[in-house]
Order: sequence, then C-alpha cells, then structure tokens
Amino acid sequence: MPELRKDPTIGRWVIISTERARRPGVFFDIDENTEEEQDCPFCEHKETQTPAEIYAVRNHGTHVNGPGWKVRVIPSIKPFLRIEGNLNRRGYGLYDVMNGVGAHEVIVETPQHIANMADLSAHQIELVLQTHVLRINDLEKDQRFKYVLAYKNYGYLSGGGRVRHCRSQLIATPVTPVRVKEELVTAKKYFDFHDRCIYCDMIQQECETESRVVAECEHFVALTPFASRFTFEVWILPKKHGCDFAKSGAPGYHNLAVMLKKVLSKIKTGLNDPAYNFLIHSAPFRRNGGNSHQWKTIEEDYHWHIEIIPRLTRVAGFEKGTGFYICSIPPEETAKFLREVTV
Amino acid sequence: MGELRRDPVVGRWVIVDTDHAGENNGFEKEDHTPKQEAKCQFCYGRENQTPPEIEAVRPKDSKPNSPGWSVRVVPNKFPALRIEGELNKRGVGIFDMSNGVGAHEIVIETPDHRKVMADFTHEELFEVIKKFKSRCVSLSHDKRLKYVLIFKNFGESAGASMEHGHSQIIALPMVPKYVLEELEGAEHYFEYRGRCVFCDMINQEYQDQERIVTENKDFISFCPFAPRFSFESWIIPKEHSAHLEDISDDKLYNLAVILKEMLYRLKVTLSDPSYNFFLHLAPLHYEHNESYHWHIEIIPKLTQIAGFEWGTGFYIVSTPPDVAAKHLREVHVTKHG
Repeated sequence: MPELRKDPTIGRWVIISTERARRPGVFFDIDENTEEEQDCPFCEHKETQTPAEIYAVRNHGTHVNGPGWKVRVIPSIKPFLRIEGNLNRRGYGLYDVMNGVGAHEVIVETPQHIANMADLSAHQIELVLQTHVLRINDLEKDQRFKYVLAYKNYGYLSGGGRVRHCRSQLIATPVTPVRVKEELVTAKKYFDFHDRCIYCDMIQQECETESRVVAECEHFVALTPFASRFTFEVWILPKKHGCDFAKSGAPGYHNLAVMLKKVLSKIKTGLNDPAYNFLIHSAPFRRNGGNSHQWKTIEEDYHWHIEIIPRLTRVAGFEKGTGFYICSIPPEETAKFLREVTV
Repeated sequence: MGELRRDPVVGRWVIVDTDHAGENNGFEKEDHTPKQEAKCQFCYGRENQTPPEIEAVRPKDSKPNSPGWSVRVVPNKFPALRIEGELNKRGVGIFDMSNGVGAHEIVIETPDHRKVMADFTHEELFEVIKKFKSRCVSLSHDKRLKYVLIFKNFGESAGASMEHGHSQIIALPMVPKYVLEELEGAEHYFEYRGRCVFCDMINQEYQDQERIVTENKDFISFCPFAPRFSFESWIIPKEHSAHLEDISDDKLYNLAVILKEMLYRLKVTLSDPSYNFFLHLAPLHYEHNESYHWHIEIIPKLTQIAGFEWGTGFYIVSTPPDVAAKHLREVHVTKHG
C-alpha cells in the first residue's frame, strides 16, 4: 500500500510509492555529452577566459587572476540578476514588478579538472565552505539583499551544463524566496506552540529511530527525510542548533566537509555517479529593523541544513501541477542502501 | 536589466530575463519518433494487457476491452495511489501520515500509436475532453476524494514513460499544495476587492494585448505575466467558472479547438517540444465558487530545473512572456487547425 506522508517542516504531503519501486541502477541513462577538458574555462591557467575574480584563496606570492589559487570566485557570465541599480518597485495594473537586482557568483571549487565534489579532499571542501561563508557575509553588507542561496548543480540533468568542472553558485536576492519563507513560517508556528525547534525535534526522533539515518558523527547527521520529495534525497543537519550556516563557527566546517564528502561519495558509488543538486537552506539576513520583527524568534526556531537531491527521475506534469511529489522508493530503504555503501 | 515579477494569485516572485529576449538557443530538443509500437499496450488488439476499462468511446456493437474504441479510460497498471481501503490518518512522533488512497487512471486518447495531440481533429480532442469531464463527475461521488488532477506528459523528458498518446487522472484525498496556494490567494483577493483575480487578469490581458496568443468565443489563451517557465501559456474560460463539470458540451468543443491550436502553435514554434499540461480545477465540493477560476497551464520542457529553483521556488524565465506570445501568435493556423 502506498503511503501519504507530510513533511512537518513545510507542511508538504508526498506520496511514498511502495509498488512502483524501481531499484537503484535501473533509472534512466545519464546523458553525458560533455565538453572536452581543453575547452574548460575554469581550470588553472585559463583565468583570462573568465570575468575578473571577486575573491580567491591563493598561494602566497601569486597574482590576482593568475594561476596559483585553490578556490576562486567569479561573477556569473550569464547572470540571472545584476548587481547594478536600484530595485524600483512598481505596480503595473494588477501585477507587481521590480528590477532584477541581485548578485550571481560562481565558486570554482578546484584548480584541477575534477567534476564531482565527492572527489575533492575533505580539506579542499572545507576551503570551499569557508569561501561560501566569506562571500555570504560580504553580500550581507549590501542592504538591498534579503537572502543568499548557495547551491550546486552537478551533471547535465541537474542544470549543471556541459562543462564538468566542480563549481557551486551563490545568488543573492532582494526578496526572501517562497520555499524558504514556507520553512520559516512553519518553524515559527511550531516554536510558538512547543517552544522547541522543529528540526531539533526531528533530529532527536531520527537518531532514536535510526531507520532513516545515512551517516552520523558528533556534530552532524545525514538522513533521508520521512516525507522525501525525491528518491534518495538526503539532508545533512548540524546537531547543534543554529539558524545561520554562515555564522555557525569555523570548527564546524571541517566536520561538515568530512560529512559532505562521505555522503556525496556514497551517492556516487552506490548510484553510479548520478547528477545531483545540493542547496544550503539558511536563515535570511537579520539586520536591525529589516526582517527582525517579522522573524523575532528566528535564531531559536529555524535550523540551517543542506538538502542533496540526486536527479534520478523526471519531474512530470503531476508534480508541476500540484507541488505533490511521488517518491518511488521509501526513504527507509534508500537510507539502508546508502548506509551499506562503503566508501 | 532583468525583472522580478510577482504572480498576482499565489504571490510567487519570478525572474524574467529581459536581456537575452528571443535567444532560443540552449533549449532542449527531443526526438519523438515512435519506437515502442511493436509492443505498445495502448494499441488495438492488446486491450487485455491493461487493467479492464473504466469507460470508453466505442461503437454500440463492440465489446468492452476489445478493439474498435476511439478513447479508452483504464486504471494505471502501476498506480501511485490505490482506490481500495480507508485513509487511516495517523501520527508517528512528529510526523503525520495516512494510507495512499486515491485513484490513478489513464486516458488513452487515440488508437493511432503515431498520432500526437497537436495533430488531432477537433472532434477527436473533443471526445478526450468529454472523458476528462465525465471522470471528474464520477470521481466526485467518492467522498474520500477531495481533488482531481488531470494532466498530460508528452515526451520522455517531460516524464512520459509510454509514447502512445495518453493523459492521466489522479484523484487525491487532499487538496495539493499549489492548488491550495491558488485558492487561498484567490480567496484573499476576493475578500479584499470582491472580484475574481483571474477575471481581473483576463481584463488586464485584453487591455495590454501583448501576452494574448489566441481566443475563441468561450476561451482565451495568453502567456502569463509572471510565468515559471519559458513559453508557459494558460487557457482560461472567458466566463467565470470554478468547475469543469459546469462547462456545457458546446463550450467543451471550443476548449478542444483552442487546446489543439495552442499545442500546434507550440509544436511549430519550438520544433516539437516535450511538454506537460494540467488542469487547475477547484477541489471537489468546493464552495467558494465566486473566487476561483479554473484554467489549463501548458508548460513546454525546454530547460533543466536547476538547484536554484528547487531551493527557492524562485523560477528563472529566459523568454519574457510578451516575446513568447508574439512567437506563438505568428504561427499560421488554418480554420480547421
């Protein structure tokens, strides 16, 4: 019998299908028509082929926009949003419009032509995470922005394009995006009622139940959510409560890098190197006056986390029309499968 | 400069890229040449390979589950939800769940394996749409069900696993999230202004003209001001209506005319893209009929939905709707489609 399950953090129902289950490895073929390495503009010594760098982790004595870097941040060549100008909010009859002001940065995660973050060292991933933090904290200074999403598209099916060089992206937006807002609203409601963080409660229940835990260390837990939208969806949550990824403190980034490498390697090995997206969900900027009265308990009620979504199935008309997802393998089975993958 | 635009019904902001308008490069292409015909379960003579039919359009002298039909409705062999049993709502710690009760039906739109909906005659599509309506009426008698979604996946990249022309009906024991957001947005607007937000939208589209693609006596089609996807278009009844069951057969015929025309325009403009369409109807037994207005949303599958969209619900549209509407309008369409 299929089940309907509700994600308590956002109030979204999903269908966990038990009879349509397809086993790992028999999802659709991966389209890997990729660019040749010699055409990759993100490799070391190709620095002039990208826009000028915004920031880089560099070896001592090397020059800006020259070789000798470890992580490099550049503006997107085809930005969705532009950094110049003001918002100019306006109405247009029934419709509301504002200028597409924002920031869109690309973080090149390694000077070598490596495609998957799973293949970077934990130390290199830690440098990438620290670069995210530094850029997010810098973008916070721009009063026009309310939110920064850090995310990664790996592989063509995830929207990652044809160039297989490991990179992630940051987009700063002048409005808090709707899915994030839904999480914030639900977390606040739960906190108002229980005086506890819903994610902390979830982590406690998951660590006791164990059936959906993929990996665990002292500081982080990786799990397949009870009401997964996608087959093999994995969340990584810090055990210690905190609403803001960029303010969670330096020691944690090393542990997070180790956990990320472990989970991404399990996905790569166990599922035959699928395309995936990962996203960091963190609290919006909390400047004086800005959001602070609206989300006055946000420090206590919201809990940052990472969502990893392997792209194994197509999103079809039903999902697009309803926001109701069909997950073809129960998360208890996918967690067990990933637990047993050795890396 | 790109624009941020807000959907007036659900309040969702989207990014419309006005800088690269009209650059269609980078859109996906998919080959729709039939490959599965030799073993297709939806073709004549293989009626016993599907579950027994629920309804069919067939000559009086032909028997159920035999050839001769022109439209056939069957249960999905691999249903996402099951019709038997009770919901049995329950909690597991902080989690809520229930049994997956519902209906999952397939409408086989034609016996012709090679015929795609954009090439149907008006009469053929009319028969399919009449089945959409009759299934809604029939499923509304099951008190466990709250919502019926009618949708179509065309092409593998849009999620179709069978290439033979079919659409699907899923009946749910709760109202899904996106529909709920539309209902709430529309109710809110109605409370505030005493008018239907969709009717107001139609009026503004008439004034602006630039996003309208086509219209006939009963329906209008336009590219919405704040779409989620490039070349997204809507078909909406001109006269206010919340339920498909309220639409008379002569109006349904005009729906067939405009749906066929829109699919044909998309096929020509975007070189036969994969697509999804779905009907957003009011829930079964819904009573705020004055605030909600049913419509069809048609979404060609042109790009991959990437991490940014999943993470934020913030969609990036590379073709502004006025540009998309202009391209779609320019397709030459004869009176008979």
